Amino acid sequence: MKIKLLILGMVVFVSQAFAQDGYSSNSQLNSRLKSLPSKSKLAQVSSIGKSSGGKDILLVTMATKPSNKAILVVGGVDGKHPAGTEMAAKLAENLVALSADSLNKLLSNKTIYILPALSPDALEQFHAKLKYERSGNATTRDDDRDGKIDEDSFEDLNGDGLITLVRIEDATGNFITSKDDTRVLIKADPNKGERGKYLVISEGIDNDKDGLFNEDAAGEVNIDKNFTYDYPMFEKGAGEYQASESETRAFLDFLYKNTNIHTVFHFGLSNNISEATKFDRQKAGKRIIGGLLENDATVTDFVAKAYTKAGLTDTPTLPQTPGNLTQTSYYHAGRFSYATPGWWTPKLKDSKDSTKKAAGPAAKKESNPEVDYLKWADANGLNSFVSWSKINHPDFPNQIAEVGGLKPYALYNPPVQYLDTAVVKHQAFFIEYLNAMPQTEIVNSKVESLGNGVNRVTVTVVNKGLLPTYPEIGDRVRFVYKVSAKLKLAEGQTLISGNKNNYRKAMASGESETYSWLINGKGNISIEAGAPTSGISNLELTLK
Amino acid sequence: MKKIFIFLFSLSVLSVQAQIASEDLNGIRAIGSPANPKVKVYWNKYSDQAEIYRICHDLAKAYPDLVKVQSIGKSVEGRDIWLLSITDFKTGVADRKPGFYIDGNIHANELQGTEVALYTAWYLAESFQSVDFIKELLKDKIFYIAPTISPDSREYFIKQANNPNSSRTGRMPFDEDGDGLIDEDLLDDLDGDGNIVMMRRKSPTGRYKVDCDNPQRMVLAKPDEPGEYEMLGYEGIDNDGDGRVNEDATGTYDPNRDWGWGWQPDYIQRGALYYPGMLPETKAVKKFILEHPNIAGAQSYHNYGGMFLRGPGAADDDKYYSRSDIQVYDYIGKLGEKMVPGYNYLVIHKDLYTVFGGEIDWLALGRGIFTFSNELMTSYKLFNKNSTENRNSNTEFEEFDKLLLFGDAYVKWKPYNHPQFGEIEIGGPKKNYIRNHPGFLLMEDSHRNMAFTILHAHQMPKLEVVEVKQKDLGGGLTEVTATVMNRRIIPTHSAHDVKFKIERPDYITLKNATVIAGMTVENEDFNLTKEQKSHPEKIEVENISGMGFVKVRWIVKGKTDKAKIEVDSAKGGLTFREVTQ
Repeated sequence: MKIKLLILGMVVFVSQAFAQDGYSSNSQLNSRLKSLPSKSKLAQVSSIGKSSGGKDILLVTMATKPSNKAILVVGGVDGKHPAGTEMAAKLAENLVALSADSLNKLLSNKTIYILPALSPDALEQFHAKLKYERSGNATTRDDDRDGKIDEDSFEDLNGDGLITLVRIEDATGNFITSKDDTRVLIKADPNKGERGKYLVISEGIDNDKDGLFNEDAAGEVNIDKNFTYDYPMFEKGAGEYQASESETRAFLDFLYKNTNIHTVFHFGLSNNISEATKFDRQKAGKRIIGGLLENDATVTDFVAKAYTKAGLTDTPTLPQTPGNLTQTSYYHAGRFSYATPGWWTPKLKDSKDSTKKAAGPAAKKESNPEVDYLKWADANGLNSFVSWSKINHPDFPNQIAEVGGLKPYALYNPPVQYLDTAVVKHQAFFIEYLNAMPQTEIVNSKVESLGNGVNRVTVTVVNKGLLPTYPEIGDRVRFVYKVSAKLKLAEGQTLISGNKNNYRKAMASGESETYSWLINGKGNISIEAGAPTSGISNLELTLK
Repeated sequence: MKKIFIFLFSLSVLSVQAQIASEDLNGIRAIGSPANPKVKVYWNKYSDQAEIYRICHDLAKAYPDLVKVQSIGKSVEGRDIWLLSITDFKTGVADRKPGFYIDGNIHANELQGTEVALYTAWYLAESFQSVDFIKELLKDKIFYIAPTISPDSREYFIKQANNPNSSRTGRMPFDEDGDGLIDEDLLDDLDGDGNIVMMRRKSPTGRYKVDCDNPQRMVLAKPDEPGEYEMLGYEGIDNDGDGRVNEDATGTYDPNRDWGWGWQPDYIQRGALYYPGMLPETKAVKKFILEHPNIAGAQSYHNYGGMFLRGPGAADDDKYYSRSDIQVYDYIGKLGEKMVPGYNYLVIHKDLYTVFGGEIDWLALGRGIFTFSNELMTSYKLFNKNSTENRNSNTEFEEFDKLLLFGDAYVKWKPYNHPQFGEIEIGGPKKNYIRNHPGFLLMEDSHRNMAFTILHAHQMPKLEVVEVKQKDLGGGLTEVTATVMNRRIIPTHSAHDVKFKIERPDYITLKNATVIAGMTVENEDFNLTKEQKSHPEKIEVENISGMGFVKVRWIVKGKTDKAKIEVDSAKGGLTFREVTQ
């Protein structure tokens, strides 16, 4: 017990050593990652490319043999979500802290790739003197396409180092305070008899006098908007064109070239993992595919159950967004691809609810994520709200203007110690997932002599894993290596019947296919079968 | 002073005269052709890299005030991508003039795009002195001409064995068939003549027979008639013993599916790679275009079919082509049909096929540049009429070969002992026939297509401050109203550009005066104006439409005698006018 306390004390000490709620800066993150190989021989750190600001994008490879079938865990794609970076880094740290035996066992025929910060430029804003939620990298963009670059940034009007909101009492305002939490502003709903009271703008002034506030600040291309699928052309933060950014290209090059990557997990601001996706024939049947293919939708049921089983419940609904990494990894790169914020506001236990019967849908109250978060933050003694306080705003002379609001980043990025449990749960989920991964094997091999040196060789290739060899969409993607069974003959052996190289579509769990060849000759032949995402097996057979 | 001027003037006239009357001509100049050009080029052949280099650099040396050459990047195999900037460098600021971008040969087997581009560069430089229209054009505009943006594959097509359709790809090594091996089964030039032709084998079960009128030609036997031959595809060997012939040639991606507008993956758009912009060649072009916001028009030469193509490449993008933008295309495209007989003005997705991630769409929709792509060469050119036969039974190419080329265009069927197929015959069209012009048609079509592109380039915006009015408002205030007109049909911003704010607004600025208010005049007669509150001296207008105008007005405190109006448009160029003239 005492030892545990001591360790806990150390953890707290270490956490405090990092500024800003325990979040690592990019350089701190780099040294954390670079120290991993000293803790385990199975961990390697390399760079897959550079950000537009010239920072290395570091990759942790945990493997006994890197070409083994793999999962890829990625975080820090949208800069607004440094918690994703922390969670991915912590996951790597937890894994190297496992005993050598368990790590060896876990990685015996599998590889785990971890990319904690795909957009390191954005990460720096979390630690900047002036803190505002910044999604993008260091590419220079004219956000509002008016011919002027970064001409209207934020101003810290109340001098607290944080960019929050300004509310102005104004006849044209559309916002009112929420009844559930008077600190929170919501849009007035005329259908509920509500009339607006406040104008709400981000903290700052209209530097260029164009009537818009802070519409063009630094922090330019959000990598999670720059991917190729459903790309939001001309939208702010999306970049000049699909995959225009070096971070996006570094990721896609890495993903496409590493044909062993079976699944991509993204700690980010969307969720497609906690609930099974329903198959939608109409969407899936379009030329530009808009929904999971049938076999792939089936698999999400298994994944959602495993996720919940790991204790990950009440995951918020966060729909997929245009041009993001998760959808591109599935629809374009042909890999299984899941996203989760990793951490979200825990549901507070309501003592009254336990005595009541399960509430029907009619009794369901609309929830406001900000209200829920503040309730939880208050209960945990976190000071994550800047109280509204009056200021003089030069663009609104003689009007009541107040600065305040939820602190930047607060909603999905709690102080790091709150991430620990979430990381442990996700680790359990990943281990479960790795155990379920496809496993192609060559079984029931048979060599029959037909006389005069002619042999009939028969083998069966089966997927003994619980997941398919790769998603159904992988069969359409040219760069996904298909399930193959290849015969390799030695000198003096000739193939009389059968294809030397056989390719087939994705193999579901338990599915198998039998191949046979007629071969004339003597000695050993070898057969290679499988796919990079499901394992490649070799078998030597002797001709009779 | 005046005398000297006259003297100089007559000297320059003399030099022009001297050029035309050169002894070297041994005759009289043909109208429309530069006489005794400084840079000698034969326009009835296809240039390799060395020749492209020579023409570009010789033009730059011969006309230093008109032509500059630069490399905009390197290809996969490290070749330079040459680009010529052609304008009257002595007038105005070169890169601020409305720019016209031309490239050719993105599909490397489509050779003649390069020849048309080179011919255009040569013609402009060699005609500057003698043709007033060209002189005016190069004063106002700048041309950026990249004769080939696929230098590797062009060289490969010319120097190595190919067929008319191969080497459309680039030269990036690539695992075409997903077996983990790279380029393990290429085309094989069995007889070593540089042409990959067809293989046929006599067979009792074959369904093909020789066309009795054209012995070069293989036709399907009639439904109830026995055939003589089976067709075995293009010349090749199963090099890797997988039972397939030529299945893993170099590349086999499409550089024209590597662009960042509406890009789709390979399973939707064959030929696409991981994402748009994987290739150094397309990256170099994109970079150049983005660095030159003055580019207002573009042409990308392809073959084949005799078409002036405009976007969009995909039906879903029709919504981005508004009526006013289409009117511009219609004007140029319909005139083009008259200028180049046999060519038709068409829309890519409607009349050709759907293309996602193509260069035309990126230029037109990604950058708001009015863009055409000419598909050079059409069988119409063979006998100056369209064949009434369907594609499978028309024999124009064989007849043209027989009557006008005297058998030069085909490799005659000859026996060959194939390691896998046994005794076969090989024969068929040479690689530079069918899609590429025969020599004597090349120069004519180069000129006609150049003229089409010059028509297009000439219609890029030409801005002029046509009128300045001053009105004394009393109390030391003056109202200055300026009318800025666009003398051409292409607007400074396409309607699509205005909608998505692709390019910054045009700025009309009153300099050397104290401006206290500024506004756009929406209707002068009824005094309808729209005030611009910030920076009133620099009025922002979203567009100056084709053959249209904008009026802007300033209220000035104090004197206006030194005041000057500057019109600054990214695509419309830079122009000035004094308020008091």
